[in-house]
Amino acid sequence: MEFLIGIWEFFANNILTKPAYLIGFMVLIGYLLLKKPVYDAFSGFIKATVGYMILSVGSSGLVNNFRPILVGLKERFNLSAAVIDPYFGQNAVNAGLSPVFGRTFSNVLILLLIAFIMNLLLVKFKKYTKMRAVFTTGHVQVQQASTAFWLILFCFPFLNDVWILITMGIILGLYWAVGSNLTVEITQELTDGGGFCIAHQQMFGIAIFSKLAEKLKRADGKKLDDIKFPGFLSIFNENIVATSCLMFVFFGIILAVLGKDYLVQSQFLSASDNFFFYTLTTSLNFAVYLSILQLGVRTFVTELTQSFQGISNSFLPGSVPGIDCAAVFGFGSSNAVTVGFIMGALGQFLAILILLLIKSPTLIIAGFVPLFFDNAVIAVYADNRGGIRAAMLFPFISGLIQVFGSALIAGWVGLAAFGGYIGMFDWATVWPIFTVIMKFAGYIGIAIVVLILIIIPQLQYRKRPDTYFLIVEDWEAYKEKTNK
Amino acid sequence: MAGKLKLLVCCGNGAGTSMMIKLNVEKVVKKIGLDVQSIYHCAISEGKSLASQYDVVLCSKNFVPMFQDAEKKGTKIVGLKNVMSVKEIEESLLGAGIK
Repeated sequence: MEFLIGIWEFFANNILTKPAYLIGFMVLIGYLLLKKPVYDAFSGFIKATVGYMILSVGSSGLVNNFRPILVGLKERFNLSAAVIDPYFGQNAVNAGLSPVFGRTFSNVLILLLIAFIMNLLLVKFKKYTKMRAVFTTGHVQVQQASTAFWLILFCFPFLNDVWILITMGIILGLYWAVGSNLTVEITQELTDGGGFCIAHQQMFGIAIFSKLAEKLKRADGKKLDDIKFPGFLSIFNENIVATSCLMFVFFGIILAVLGKDYLVQSQFLSASDNFFFYTLTTSLNFAVYLSILQLGVRTFVTELTQSFQGISNSFLPGSVPGIDCAAVFGFGSSNAVTVGFIMGALGQFLAILILLLIKSPTLIIAGFVPLFFDNAVIAVYADNRGGIRAAMLFPFISGLIQVFGSALIAGWVGLAAFGGYIGMFDWATVWPIFTVIMKFAGYIGIAIVVLILIIIPQLQYRKRPDTYFLIVEDWEAYKEKTNK
Repeated sequence: MAGKLKLLVCCGNGAGTSMMIKLNVEKVVKKIGLDVQSIYHCAISEGKSLASQYDVVLCSKNFVPMFQDAEKKGTKIVGLKNVMSVKEIEESLLGAGIK
């Protein structure tokens, strides 16, 4: 017995609590379960572990780079600044878990695993649950699991680890299954039976805006394709360029407001340094560390997704894979992506201005991912259902919501103090509502949230019980049936 | 196109969609027996700089114009509508004369 406890303690101390080895270990087990050759499992383990280590390098770089700005705003104006971007959000959780809650990022990975298994089980019993989709977007799962873990800790700081993980595992797994299931019909329609749905961060958003878009349909049917855009806009398709520009604008303003004297006094730069180039370097460094962080994420997520997908394919034939929202950028109007980005940016910038004017204690800094992916994908769906007016209006509204929703929740749950919040549409709307319910209604709140999620697919099913499963099993048959 | 091919797959962020395309390209490569040396996936930013060193670039249709320079240098650019469709990837590769 003592010997066994010794083994368990060794495993817990060296693997379970070290995220890099834990993720490697998950991949290793996944590959072995899929009966892949041992050398494949071994290389998967190495890539996943090294990937996580690369992420850590980018992560600490971001934190250090951010310090002058966070400390400066806090000391001089008593403000918190949060970049709304899933990578920054994940980073903020990573930085805050240990000082605030005394937990490690390993818990996040275990939560991810529980939620994924929950998602698989829900779809396995789709006859009863009416959930047809498996969430397979690995990098998004990591980002969401970290924020979800923080939110549940915030609601129940005294609950022990096992219960925290199981509770949030159930809720997050439900959100993954229910959210991606919401996008099945609209995605099949947009892609003409593409055979996938969306597993990203604005699934409720897409579903709601698609519904609303139908009300904006116009008879003249003006299409987005009739607009010509200036060529320079294409540079914003590149995340490095877009991030550098965004950061330079926002941090340039913040650093200029803080002033050189203050920064010299706090020893962030020396008096002989040129202030303009200090600002430029700091802004560009964000793009540098973000690229490193993303390279790390990409390295381990590739492994994770392959083992996850293998498991879900063998375990769940006939379900729909939920994938990254960028997968629909090739459908519909090619201008929709650009329009969504521009209108979303207008909405976000306006909202940030309003936050400044009303002297909000949390300052929001626009990040690339919500700006581009959320609003572009909303535009694609809105355009498909409601044409040009919907494609321009809804991303704009989404931009406002992303900023206001994130400012409220990031300040409230204390993530703004660590400089980031996930900031995507669902996480500025649905999740703040869940958090409020759980914070104020306690355990009853958990039951309410779970019930809300369970009911949604049931309602979807009741609308069209005869074609509900047909749409994913046989698109052509579905089309025939619905056209009659 | 003779010899070993180098394929590049790009999407906006280089994380989700490009990896999905890559997994599907691997299926196609197996199926039609392409002689492929490597398949790399990344973000558009990186892809733009790398593209001319590759034989084929695959991406979502809306990103095709970003690769004009590489196309002039002889890289084949394959724009995909449905990134999840193994059939479409196969047809596009064959259609572009990649064997």
